Amino acid sequence: MHPWLLLVFALPSLAALDKTYGVPPSLVSKYVPRTKGSHQTWTCLDGLKEIAWSAVNDDYCDCQDGSDEPGTSACPNNKFYCRNEGHIGAIIQSSRVNDGLCEQECCDGSDEPSGVCPNTCQEVGAEHRKKTEAERKLRKTGSKIRSSYIAYAHKEKKRLEALVADLVQEIETREKEVERLRDIAERAESLSAAELERKKQSPLYQSLLVHHTALKSLQKEHKKHLERENALGDILTSLRAGYNPNYQDMAVLEAVRGWEALAGLPHINDVRKGDDGEADTTAEKPKTEDDVEDEGLWNAAKIEKELDQLLKTDHVTLLLEHDQLVGPASAQSLLLDISAYIPDALLPSYHSFRDSVLSALSVFGIGRGGAFDTSAESNRARVALSDAEHSLKLTQDEQRTANEDLLDLFDPDGFGPEGEWKKLDGMCLSKDTGEYTYEVCLFDEARQIPNSGGSGFSLGKFSSWNKAARPGELEYYTRQHYTQGAKCWNGPHRSVELVLTCGTENTLLTVAELEKCEYQITGTTPALCRPLEDEHTKDEL
Amino acid sequence: MRSPGTLLLLLLLPTALAFKPSDFKTCSQSGFCRRGRALAARAQESPSSWHSPYSIEPPEFLALAPRQQGFTTSVYSSIHPNVKFVLDVIIHEEGIVRVRMDEEDGLRKRYNEAAQWALIGEPKLSDDVLWTIDGEKAKAVYGPKKDMKLVVDFNPLKITLFRHGKEQVVLNGRGLLHMEHFRTKEDSKPLEHIEGEGQSVLQVNPAAWFEGDTQDAFWDETFSTWTDTKPKGPESLSLDITFPNHAHVYGIPQHATNLSLPSTTGPIARHTDPFRLYNADVFEYLSDSPTSLYGSIPLMHAHSANSTVAVFNALASETWIDIAHVEKGGVETHWISESGILDVFLLPGPTPTDVFAQYAHLTGTAPLPAHWSIGYHQCRWNYVSSDDIRGVQNRFDEEDFPVDVFWLDIEYAEDHRYFMWNKKTFPDPVEMTRDVEAVGRKMVVIVDPHLKRANDYPVYKRASELGVLVKPKSGEGEYEGWCWPGSSSWIDFFHPASWDFWISLFKTKTIDGQWSWTESTDNVGIWNDMNEPSVFNGPEITMPKDNVHYGGWEHRDVHNINGMLFANLTFQAAEARTDPPRRPFVLTRAFYAGSQRFGAMWTGDNLGTWEHMAVGIKMVLANGVGGMPFAGSDVGGFFGNPEPEMLVRWYVVGAFSPFFRAHAHIDTKRREPYLLEEPYKSLVRDILRLRYSMLPVWYTAFRETSESGVPILRPQYVMFPEDEAGFGIDDQYYIGSSGLLVKPVTQKGVMEVSMYIAEDQVYYDYFTNHAHRPQNRHITLPANLDQIPLLIRGGSIIPTRERPRRSSPLMKHDPFTLRIALDTSGNARGEVYLDDGETYGYGRGHVVWRGFGAESTKGKGKGQGIGMVRISSVDLAASTEVGAYDPMNEFARSVGDVRVEKLVVLGLGKKPLSVVLDGGRELEWEFTSEGVLVIKDPAVRVVDDWAVVVQSE
Repeated sequence: MHPWLLLVFALPSLAALDKTYGVPPSLVSKYVPRTKGSHQTWTCLDGLKEIAWSAVNDDYCDCQDGSDEPGTSACPNNKFYCRNEGHIGAIIQSSRVNDGLCEQECCDGSDEPSGVCPNTCQEVGAEHRKKTEAERKLRKTGSKIRSSYIAYAHKEKKRLEALVADLVQEIETREKEVERLRDIAERAESLSAAELERKKQSPLYQSLLVHHTALKSLQKEHKKHLERENALGDILTSLRAGYNPNYQDMAVLEAVRGWEALAGLPHINDVRKGDDGEADTTAEKPKTEDDVEDEGLWNAAKIEKELDQLLKTDHVTLLLEHDQLVGPASAQSLLLDISAYIPDALLPSYHSFRDSVLSALSVFGIGRGGAFDTSAESNRARVALSDAEHSLKLTQDEQRTANEDLLDLFDPDGFGPEGEWKKLDGMCLSKDTGEYTYEVCLFDEARQIPNSGGSGFSLGKFSSWNKAARPGELEYYTRQHYTQGAKCWNGPHRSVELVLTCGTENTLLTVAELEKCEYQITGTTPALCRPLEDEHTKDEL
Repeated sequence: MRSPGTLLLLLLLPTALAFKPSDFKTCSQSGFCRRGRALAARAQESPSSWHSPYSIEPPEFLALAPRQQGFTTSVYSSIHPNVKFVLDVIIHEEGIVRVRMDEEDGLRKRYNEAAQWALIGEPKLSDDVLWTIDGEKAKAVYGPKKDMKLVVDFNPLKITLFRHGKEQVVLNGRGLLHMEHFRTKEDSKPLEHIEGEGQSVLQVNPAAWFEGDTQDAFWDETFSTWTDTKPKGPESLSLDITFPNHAHVYGIPQHATNLSLPSTTGPIARHTDPFRLYNADVFEYLSDSPTSLYGSIPLMHAHSANSTVAVFNALASETWIDIAHVEKGGVETHWISESGILDVFLLPGPTPTDVFAQYAHLTGTAPLPAHWSIGYHQCRWNYVSSDDIRGVQNRFDEEDFPVDVFWLDIEYAEDHRYFMWNKKTFPDPVEMTRDVEAVGRKMVVIVDPHLKRANDYPVYKRASELGVLVKPKSGEGEYEGWCWPGSSSWIDFFHPASWDFWISLFKTKTIDGQWSWTESTDNVGIWNDMNEPSVFNGPEITMPKDNVHYGGWEHRDVHNINGMLFANLTFQAAEARTDPPRRPFVLTRAFYAGSQRFGAMWTGDNLGTWEHMAVGIKMVLANGVGGMPFAGSDVGGFFGNPEPEMLVRWYVVGAFSPFFRAHAHIDTKRREPYLLEEPYKSLVRDILRLRYSMLPVWYTAFRETSESGVPILRPQYVMFPEDEAGFGIDDQYYIGSSGLLVKPVTQKGVMEVSMYIAEDQVYYDYFTNHAHRPQNRHITLPANLDQIPLLIRGGSIIPTRERPRRSSPLMKHDPFTLRIALDTSGNARGEVYLDDGETYGYGRGHVVWRGFGAESTKGKGKGQGIGMVRISSVDLAASTEVGAYDPMNEFARSVGDVRVEKLVVLGLGKKPLSVVLDGGRELEWEFTSEGVLVIKDPAVRVVDDWAVVVQSE
């Protein structure tokens, strides 16, 4: 027989554990034995099994629900309660009981056999109170700032309401004006339509129309090509910035080099070497090469700026003006031509007089006929009408925006139930991580900007708050999502999850690309510092 | 871990075929393989007149003494009569036959050091051989039963190993042996000329009937944009090895194919190309292909119901192996290698277990790994910062998922200069590592073999100063290739001066002012990736073959060994960090015969597909056959985003692999198990906990393989070598000697599986305890997503630790549960092996190794079942000679408080009358409606002898 066999029953046992060891205060009352004759029993908390009272906390799992082993690790998925006197009681997973490690959460050391872990509840408690106090202070300061944000929102509300009221009035006035002008224009048009139709048969006019159409088509094609060129440029630029030279794919390398030559960029790897900057000198060259122009021809800038204007030319007006220029002077009525004889100083008042006379004439059906150019008048009326309509639309738009802003202001789904986020609308925060600077313009767009120069990429536009929480809950406002940023050349569209916590400043703390092209940015803002008295259990910070 | 050159293109054209066949040679694109296959084709065309030109001249041979272990003799080639060859045949201990052939006094030297790297030492000679010679052949009879016979035929040269008069393995039986001799380019010039002229001068070359009439790719070879200059000219080696009486061949990892290797030639060929051994970084490899992968072990088992035999062909150069299952029942193989001497070991068997022992005798076994390394490993390319690592660890703990290891891939290293932390993202590497270690966990950090060529990189700088970098074909300066860091160079680990240097790098405290990895801890494991070596701009994504290594050997000569040497040195370096040394953990991607001594391997960059999940099991089984049991495939698949169902099933595959790691490509979504939705999350938690509860089984299996070389995952032919119906099965396997049989589900939507059972025995469902008897040799089990087809073979005792913990070291003091699965006669046995899991104290006897037994006595009445079962624990260590074993050893004392808390007896049949601790008290027990006896807390210590008696009548 083995000499050790004598030791068999001298196992260091946990059987001596108190029956309520590890039981949370709320359940202590359930841990009492039932006396059945000579022995005591106990029923598992799920009511499924009756066991000996001695089997409670004997380091062997008897109950399906694990309730017989509150103080040991014998049952899986159990909870263990440490009293932590001098601090706050805590619940830990039973997998951490008797595993040889002193749990931080159990400062009283009760998760391990006695003597293993020191009781540090005094220190931990003090530390905890200090930390809580610091957090409280931070929240207090933060919430003061937050209340200034709320005040701002209320001011905004007032301003917007006043604005809306003004706009409503303005719209009313403008609507009336539009009505009046429409009336005039319609009358003038009916007067001149036939005459205008005749004049439009002029070959010159017809040719002008064809030219116009051609030019417009050309511009459309030109724009399309410009867009394509830009898109291709973007693709190649991302390729150049993002390709991995290590893969040694010659086709890609050729594409990058070709693009660099065409776009006058230095070779990317030379730039990255960085120190000497030799390669940069060639960068400016190609721009000057294109500057040789044919005389009289429009350059790109002029096309960009003036072609649209040219295409907006009102041909009908032009036709009429042309007519006046080339037509027989005698055909003009004295009344219309009289301006020639009027001294310059009186001219404006004459014109307004004439216009009203003419419109009066047309209203009464007088003045019809070749001696009187109705087309030009009708055209002018039309212009006036469209101007007025445009102004009306602008004002209406302004009103709509103001109304929407008003609605957003205290929308839990928008700027928060108290409007506390309004102040931050459009505020740009940035974080320099060495290679890149990350910029988040709140409620607008996030960008990644290379510190070595260049415009960088959009990381996405604001799309939503934390979808995992409900509007109104604090948790809802701790995350902002910016999505549909520039597409990664070999991945998804870039996106950002902005994770915010309460802090006295609006600032970004860290940036991490946890998955390809998906960034997690952390930061703080006072907007999340709800006042201390606002202690909903769920909304604990 | 990743992808070479094709990644970029692939991503631009996502619909393109992932694997780029154009990156890798087929046999027809490889000059020597073409020549080798052409030789076989010529032999095939004229079977009657074909004969090997190689022969032994008997007169030289007469000196052989009868008791000599072997002989050395000249070999004559009738096609090159002026070239001298020398043959060496020796019989070693364990009945292993070694056959070597080399060119003698040639223009150059053939590479002859491959075996030296693979073997643990020079094998001892047998002292029990009797040679006889009759005019035509030499015969050696040996073996304890004198049933082994080696016959060397003189003309033509042929070597045959017999057992009981039955041919086991034949070398050059088909006359395909050919050793291309060294020649000068000038010598062969006239022939080159002829090549252009055509057939008319054919008769000028008397060797043409054998060698062919062209000099196909003798002096250079171009593949894609790379030209191999072949300065030594042709030097390939062709050898046919035939197993006339064995229908199945296994081994030669690493290939994504069936365990029982299919034909590559002949009418039933499944593949058109031969199996290739040429360590290669293959991007998104195919799940059914003979193409070479990351590692090469030129060991092949041939198996029949009568015997098992194996060949170890110690070649380090590129090798192609044609396999043909012939109609008459045997297997013909043809091995074509680019360079090196002929150095073949014949392992006589006659059982798979014997073959494993014989191979282990040559190349060693996998040592006992650090215990933590058989836990769960969580990896990703890449955890991006130290806070990321901390965050992942927190999530694991919050969800109560056990995990032992967190991994860092290449992005921790600034500019991919390994050892050098990127301080922007990892500002506090040592604190981070300590935070992980605080919960008993470890970190594994990658160190790849390519060194960024930058003088501010101390590792490169020092290697350059020492002159230990691989040289380009000129033999001067440093070879420069592209890898992750851009322009890189590679340490030549064949250079002895590199060894101490590499070992010094891993010291965590500075010694003699030399740079070393002080920002690390002594516990950090090392991941050696890309050691094929992977070279992004090299031919076939590796080094040019004409690169020059130490001793003037070309890269072509040593290619397949290269990766093993890297892991070997890293293993030594990690071990040498502490004094006394502790067991290091090194994971390698490239491997060779002998790599099992230096750590674990994984199956490389697999895809997240069901096919890859399935073939991963076969590959791990094949690696076990190849002597490398510590293996696994990336859980979830490296590429792609597996659906939750696939991920859950893959966790089962991982939990039942010796090496259990989840890994993912940088472009994939995060997939740490806590991110799963329910019910998948809880399913994976249960799988992880199951693995941890079974760690005693795994560790015990590791101990056994470290002694015996028998793999941990045992396919049917290893378990039941006489059961022919099981020889082709490679989707279910037993775990060590434990008696656990598992068949992981590797298909979508499966709801039940049928497991093949080779014997008339009772098997118990591990989870329900239900007893199954095979019907038509099969047991059908439900296999919904929350079910794992796992059986306990009747007659086994399974030791587990059922308490969930955060990591395996925290289980040290947890009690054991024993599942006692009685066989049809009411008996069972099992064992558990424990040690400190970290040190080499086990070599000094600091172990607890218990044998468990259950013995039944029949009841008295007629037709009665079991009358009494005695369940006992005995000390197995005491009966073996493990150092100076003391049952009160230091380790045993440290686990003196560990109990056996529960005995579960399966197969008892009826409710017992009493359960007593032998010599002691009555125990508490329960007999469930399923007929399972659960004995509550016998309060015995695992270190003690004890017995429990179950009395049924």
